[in-house]
Order: sequence, then C-alpha cells, then structure tokens
Amino acid sequence: MDAEKIDPRILALMDENPGISTAEIASSLALDEDLVRQRIDFLADTREKLLIVDEEIDALTALKVALEAEGYNVIVARDGFEGIEKARTENPDAILLDIMMPGMDGFEVCKRLKSDPSSEHIPVIMLTAKGETDDKVEGLDIGADDYVTKPFNLMELKARIRTVLRRSNI
Amino acid sequence: MWDKKNRWSLVIFAVIVLLLVGSIVFFWMKANNEVRSIMEDQYQNQQLILTQYISSSLEELLNERVLLLEVTAKNEQGIPDDNFVSDFETIYRAAEIYYVLEFIDANGTVISGYPSANVPYGYNLYENDNEWAFEHVRKSGEVHISEPAMTMEGIFGSFVWVPVFENGTFRGTIFGIVSDENIIRQFDTASNSSNTVYLLNSKGEVIYDQSGMYGKGTSYFDHISGDEPERLDMVRAQINGMEGNGKYPDTVSNGHGQDILVSYSPVTWYNKNWSLGILSPGNEVDKIIVSVYVKLFTVTGLSVLFILFLSSQVYFILLNWNRSLEQEVEKKTHELQRSNESLVSANLKLQELDRLKTEFLSMVSHELKTPLTAMKTSSEFLLEEKCDYDTRKQLLALINRNVDRQARMVDDLLDVSRIESNRMRFEMESVDLHEVLDHSLENIRRLSEDKDIEIRADIAESLAHVRADRDKLVQVFVNLLNNAIKFTPGGGEITVSAQEVSQDEEVSQDVEISVRDNGIGIDAENLERVFDKFYQIDSTSTRKAGGCGLGLSITKGLVEGMGGSIRVESEPGKGSTFIFTLAKDRL
Repeated sequence: MDAEKIDPRILALMDENPGISTAEIASSLALDEDLVRQRIDFLADTREKLLIVDEEIDALTALKVALEAEGYNVIVARDGFEGIEKARTENPDAILLDIMMPGMDGFEVCKRLKSDPSSEHIPVIMLTAKGETDDKVEGLDIGADDYVTKPFNLMELKARIRTVLRRSNI
Repeated sequence: MWDKKNRWSLVIFAVIVLLLVGSIVFFWMKANNEVRSIMEDQYQNQQLILTQYISSSLEELLNERVLLLEVTAKNEQGIPDDNFVSDFETIYRAAEIYYVLEFIDANGTVISGYPSANVPYGYNLYENDNEWAFEHVRKSGEVHISEPAMTMEGIFGSFVWVPVFENGTFRGTIFGIVSDENIIRQFDTASNSSNTVYLLNSKGEVIYDQSGMYGKGTSYFDHISGDEPERLDMVRAQINGMEGNGKYPDTVSNGHGQDILVSYSPVTWYNKNWSLGILSPGNEVDKIIVSVYVKLFTVTGLSVLFILFLSSQVYFILLNWNRSLEQEVEKKTHELQRSNESLVSANLKLQELDRLKTEFLSMVSHELKTPLTAMKTSSEFLLEEKCDYDTRKQLLALINRNVDRQARMVDDLLDVSRIESNRMRFEMESVDLHEVLDHSLENIRRLSEDKDIEIRADIAESLAHVRADRDKLVQVFVNLLNNAIKFTPGGGEITVSAQEVSQDEEVSQDVEISVRDNGIGIDAENLERVFDKFYQIDSTSTRKAGGCGLGLSITKGLVEGMGGSIRVESEPGKGSTFIFTLAKDRL
C-alpha cells in the first residue's frame, strides 16, 4: 500500500483515539508495525524538508551535512528520475536541483516537476556549475524559483532557501 | 502524332514554299526569255557580220579575178603573138577560179585558150547563135558577166566577157568560165557545220545552196509556201540588194517549231547583183544559252558546294566550340558544386567544432566547479564550527579528495594545451614495459578493485624494452586502463598484451601494445572520433561517464609524441581494443 494512502488513515485513527499505540494502528490497518512507526515518525517530523538532487556525491554530502546542521530534514537523490520520484513521495518543502546529471538533466527534471500538479507548488532552486546567462534564463523560464551558481556561498544559499520557503508558506 | 497547331504550321509552311518556288520559276522563265531574245539578237548580229565578211570576200575575189582579165585585155602592146595564151596560163594558175580562158576574135571565133584541153578551137559564136553577149560587149565596151548556167561543157558557171580594143578598134573578147565549184573551194572553211550558205541572183534564183536542198537555177520563190510571209519579205529584200537579218519558222527539217535565223548581204560583181545568205537553225542560240547556263550552273553549283562546305566547316567548328564551351561550363559548374559542397561540409565541421568547444567549455566549467563547490561548502560549514569531530574529519577528507580531483583536471588541461602547441617534452629512453605496466596497474588498482575488474597482463619477456618516455607511457597506460574500467561493467576483464610487428624486417620493428576490455564497446559511427579533443560519445549534460573527454585525446598525443600510433577496434556490446605502437628498443 502506498505511503500516501497509509498516512491519511493513520492520521484518522490517531484523531479518533489520541492515545492509540503503533501496534494498535498496525493491527487495525493490517500493516507491519515498523512501517507504521516509520510513517508516524515521518508525520511527526515538523522540520522543513529539503530534497537535494545532484550527481556528485561529494557536493551532495557536504551540502547535506551543512543543511542538516541548519535544522532541515534533508533527503537526497543521485539523478533526475530519483529526484522526481522523491519529490512526489516525500513531498519536500523545497528542491535544490543540479543541472548536469546523468540520465535526465536538471532542466528536464524542473520542467517535469512544474508540469505535474502534485509537485508544481514545490519551489525549485537550480544549482549549476554553468555560469552563462542563457542557462540562468533557461532555468527561470522553465519555472525554477531561484538559481545559484556553483561554487556558491553557503550563507547565501541558506538565505535563498529561507526566502523560497517563506514565499511558499504565504 | 502532330497536334493541330503543328499541322497548321505545316500547311502555312508548304504554302510559303510553293509561293516561293512558283515565283522563282516565273522569274526564272521570264529572265530566260529575255536572255534568249538578247542572245538571238546578238547571234544574228554576229551572223550578219559573218555574212558581210563572206559576201565582201566573195565580191573582192570575183572582181579581182575579172580585173586580171581587164588588165590583160588593155595590154598596150596590142594583142600578143600567141593570142594571150601565156597570159591565160599565168592568170589561170593565179586566179584558180576559171574553168577555161579563151580569146574570141572580132569574128566570134575561138582562136586560142588555156588549158587547151577545155578550149573548143574554131567554135564560132555566130554560127551557133550565141553572139548576144559578144555583141553586147562589143557595143558597150564594158565587161559583161552572164547569169550562171549549165555550159555545153557540163559545168555550172558564169561567163565573163571582157572586150579587147586596140587603138579604139574592137579586136575581140577575152572569155572566161568561172565555175561555182572553184569559187566554193575558196570558201570551204568560211562557215561552220551548223550554218549553211546560199547565194541568190537578182531574180531570186538559187546560184548556190550549201545544204543541197534547193537545186541550182531553181527559183527560191518556188520553195516558199504561201504562209511564210517573213521568208517572202526576206527574199524580196535580198533581191533588192539589201542587207539584214530575218527569221522564219522551220517547217522543213525536224526543227520542232524552231525559228531559222537568216542573215543576208549583197554581192556586187560588175553587172551582177547577187545576195549571200547564211541561215542557221534557232536551236544554235539555245545551244549557246544552254552552254552558258551549263557553265553558269556549274560555277553556281561549285560555289554553292564550296559555300556549303565552308559553312558546314564553320558550323562544325562553332558546334565543337559550343560543345567544348558547354563542357567547360559543366566542368566549372561541377567544380563549383564540389567546392560548394566542401565549403558546406567545412562549415558543418566548423559548426560542430564550435559546438564541441562550447560543450567542452561547459564541461570544463562543470568539472572545475564541482570539486570547488564541494570544497567551498565543506570549508564554509567547517568555519561555522557547528559540527562534531566525525563530521569535521569527513568533510576534511572530502576537501582533500576534491583537491586531488581538481589537480588532475588541471594537469589534463595543461597536457592538452602542451600537446596542442607541441610544447610537450618527451624524454625518450629505453623503458621496461613490465615495470611501467606494474607501476600503472598500481595507480589504478583501487579503481579496478572497486568494480571487481580483473586486469591481466600478457607480455612476452623478449619484448621487455621499448623506446619511450617513462612517465608519459605510464600516463598512457593509466588513461587507457581508466577508460577501460570506466566502460566495463563490474566483474569484467581487461587484458593488456604486446607483440612485435615488423613493417620492414631490416629497418624498424615496432611493438604493438593492446588494451582490450569486454565493456560496452563503441559503435562504428563514433569509432573514428574517440581520439578527437573534447569529444565524448555522450557529450550532453546527461552523460553517464565522468571526465571531460580529454583522456583519449591526451593519450593519442602522448603516443604520437613518442613516435607511435594509436587506433581502436570495437564491436558494440562486446568490448573495445585500443592498440598503440612503440618502437622496440634494440639494445
């Protein structure tokens, strides 16, 4: 069963009976208790969630560590397909998207995210090594909310993340 | 299969041709008639001149011959003793026209003559009633010439009577017979074959007719039928001693309605007024016209042939010229097309090169900026001093790794730059292949072990030494092995082998070293280009393999810099083999 379908039912059960235990939920929904606990942890996590999509493991790692320390719930994807998949299932609050990636590049990922109703509302910040103006325009034209050029200043990136998140919360 | 339009044009064309031909024939016939009448006039004038010539010659001849007799008759010494016989002999021989010359005394008796065989000695005119002319001469004292007639000797001729006076006393006459045969002999060559000559006397009697149609002594009028007025007029003019031209239709000979052209001129011989006529058939004119036309047409024909020949030559020359011009144009067009095509392909190549350059720059930018980003993010985070010991260590290792990566990238770019500008230095020495390969394998051991790829070396001991730059050869091996590992799935196998190849047994011997993998391979389309700078089979931003497309280009530059060559053989899905050659070290 999909997480999306499980979550509303878990929430419904918890609404009826605020003191319900995970074992009880699992048995009433005929699910594994571990999965139920994971979903409850997930639902209980109130941190803002960021999805980073980047091919480069080192860049990914460094950014993940830095942003987690900032108090974000960071999830990662190593390519475009994985990025789209996680954007749908994890419903992140913002996406940091690299452009040069194997399989599907960042532009295409952004285009698909913005054309899908289930993910169009998620702000996207493009990260790229390319510095050309054309690329910037292209990034914004296809619906990216912001654009950060590698190598970026960490403080600046954090500020931009805060900005897009604040904007989307209004 | 002509359409209507063509048929109409054909009809119009035929009408025009007929009109042209008709008018040409009409004008030609008109011109022909004019020419004919002009020619006829000319011919008759010529014939008249001839007639005048002949008649005057005849007149002169006859008068001269008679004059000889007159001179003899007026001899101042009187009648010679031999009664003129010796004079007669001289005159007879000189004049050549007399049948006989006689002397008749005052009594009318023939007393001498020459040639004596023709002389009727003792013949008396009075006794034979032939005294009329004798009497006439005695009375008038003038020379008398009788009408030509058949003589008693049986010849046709005229009698010439010349009176002989001595001191005013009539002593007799000199008598001569002029035979027509003898006269004609003088003019044998006077006229050509087609003309015939006739002679009429003042009564219109035929004295002579060359054609033999009319008998001597017959009247010419008897030979003219009633419906020949032109001919009648003409004969009258002749009798009246006139000269001129005339023509009448030929009814006798098979002249087919042709005119007979006549010219006539008078001949005056003492008391005789004769008329000489020359007639010729009208087709003589036609013959001349035809001969003129034949000449004209021959010349025209030859000229036309000559013109045709010349124009055909000119035509062929122009045609050939035109053809060679066309060929030239075609050739030039072809050359232009070719150069155009080569320009287009050069342009495409340039565009491709430009695209590759742009992609290369973006690639370099990405490759340089990615490690920088990781380092910068890590170092900035470290500066924030929010992390624990483990995280710090992890980030420092990350920074270190990316510094190395950056350094490698910079090295590659420098190598490309050096190779491009021929500034790469090669320190050639004798290198042990085994040692170099071991060193190279050590360099990439971690990579191969990570992907669980086995690398096998298969190099004979005898091939140990090659001429090469040690470090560059290591780089070549590392690049090729790296490349092989990158494109070979985990658990695959890479083989490095070497063998000798001899292009020329005496001069040089090369060692061929191959690095074979059983990875994804390269399709034929891309095979030729894998050594191009900046080239990546998948050069889009979505490429699966890392690197910026310089490895093989650098490798090629290094191998060629060491005097070798490199090539690749591959089959998609089965793997690729990179083969490079180096000179074997002879020591």
